[in-house]
Amino acid sequence: MVQLLTMEISKVLRLNSVRFGLLILVVFPLLWSYAPGIFKVYGFYLVSGFQVPALSLLSSMEFLLPLLVAIVSSELLGMEFTHGTLPTILLRPVGRSQWLLAKVLIVALFPFLILLFFLAVSMVAGLPYGYEAFVGGTGLGATGLLGDGLLAPGGAFRELLRAYGMAAFSLVPVSLLAILFTVVLKSSAGGALATMSVLVVMQLLVVFPWLEPYLLTTQLSAYITPDARMGWVVTLVALYCTAFAAVSVVLFERKDF
Amino acid sequence: MSTPAIETENLSKLIRSKPIVRDLSFRVNPGEVYALVGPNGAGKTTVIRLVAGLAFPSSGSVRMFGCDPFEKPEVRARLGAVVEAPAAFYPYLTGRANLELHARLAGSVPEKRIDEVLVLMELGHASDRRVGVYSLGMRQRLGVAAALLTRPELLILDEPASGMDPLSLHLVHHVLKRAAMEGTAVLLSTHHLDEVVAYCTRVAIMEDGALIDEVNLLDRRERYRARVSDPHSARAELDIYPWIKHVTIRADEVVFILAEPEALGRVAGVLSEVGVELYELARDTFDLRAYYLERVAAQRAENVDAALQAVGVG
Repeated sequence: MVQLLTMEISKVLRLNSVRFGLLILVVFPLLWSYAPGIFKVYGFYLVSGFQVPALSLLSSMEFLLPLLVAIVSSELLGMEFTHGTLPTILLRPVGRSQWLLAKVLIVALFPFLILLFFLAVSMVAGLPYGYEAFVGGTGLGATGLLGDGLLAPGGAFRELLRAYGMAAFSLVPVSLLAILFTVVLKSSAGGALATMSVLVVMQLLVVFPWLEPYLLTTQLSAYITPDARMGWVVTLVALYCTAFAAVSVVLFERKDF
Repeated sequence: MSTPAIETENLSKLIRSKPIVRDLSFRVNPGEVYALVGPNGAGKTTVIRLVAGLAFPSSGSVRMFGCDPFEKPEVRARLGAVVEAPAAFYPYLTGRANLELHARLAGSVPEKRIDEVLVLMELGHASDRRVGVYSLGMRQRLGVAAALLTRPELLILDEPASGMDPLSLHLVHHVLKRAAMEGTAVLLSTHHLDEVVAYCTRVAIMEDGALIDEVNLLDRRERYRARVSDPHSARAELDIYPWIKHVTIRADEVVFILAEPEALGRVAGVLSEVGVELYELARDTFDLRAYYLERVAAQRAENVDAALQAVGVG
């Protein structure tokens, strides 16, 4: 399994979507940090470096990060169809489920790695504003950017870590859904498109209020969810992950290649 | 008798309710080269995928060294295969890096073996180039190299020589022939009938998903014809000897298969003892291409008749 994981990691690093995604994640916080017209458009000024990672996350969780995660996950499996390497690999004495599980583990880990990178880059981008205590909020706490008086650096950093951690966790089902669709459609583009379509449809399903708490898209905003609901979110996300991974493996085991 | 490397029984495959492979039964023994030939769309590639354990049979069974390859994937450690034409590799990795990856997946392949197969397939000079810049023939040769990496007991190859120049073609067939001589069972699908005749043991002719004929080329290679004064007496006499496997009459000739190739010299003596004059003794060359075309055409005509009858015409 370690062998398979190592191989998959080296494949991830070679994906064009990953390289392009990393570039975007570098540019994004720099834009927020510089943003000359921020007051005119949004009605606020940045007063702390801690607000740059927060704004970067808030503005990318809606679309950019789910899209990146869906594309990379689909591509990691879809590349085997594109290059025709899947049959060749499956002819080696490696169990199908074992091989797919290596991919599943890597794509499940991917949101954490990408958000760790995003946090680091955003922190660097926020350097011009400094990281001292400030009056206001990071944008990720209950009181938004206005805050609740003086916010110490430790408290602000904890808010960022919690939000980035939760955001990464809530993106894992998106990765696994992309893997599931790629298994079904045997295509990277198809897998990513189907995943994004499902997310868009789910966003429309909020018109059914009783359904909203269960939707995957609702959990994507878990990083700004009050702590009291965290248990529910974690359970639901874990259930989504288990279901998507299990169905992927079962379908993959029965597929003709 | 040793366990067959491959054994299929009534193997069938339906794709969207359409039969792609019908009721196929054959076996490939160690040391044998078994070729699947047939027109495009006859179902050869599907058979290869079913046998290699990449596709699931709709009915019937496949056994690899007596095991079900789906239930026991570890049996594939004894298999080397090329199932894509051209052979599929990561284009961004070098030929050597691709083989190293295969070696890691296969487990316990010494580094030296990678060099060996690269040299064997005449890719030593290109081993450090990215596969993306390889020609079609080079990819195919790298495919065969990857298949040979683990010194497999069974080789399964789908069109191993497609897109190759005559020299590469010769190389691949030479390597496969040698592998078979060392005891490896080889199953391949091909359109190169002339090469097949030269070294295959048996040829299965496929048409419309069915195996319509199986030709034992080993027998054909040891088949001789003798033009004689009295074919009936000659047949009766030759039939007695254990070093003659089979005798038939064809016009004014007897056609026979030798059980012991070195016994050919005894034929003239035996015939003269019974007063049969021998005018000509020669190898009975077998034209696989002509035979194949004839069999496929006949099968197609049969299929058309059956289809017409099914719709109430003819």
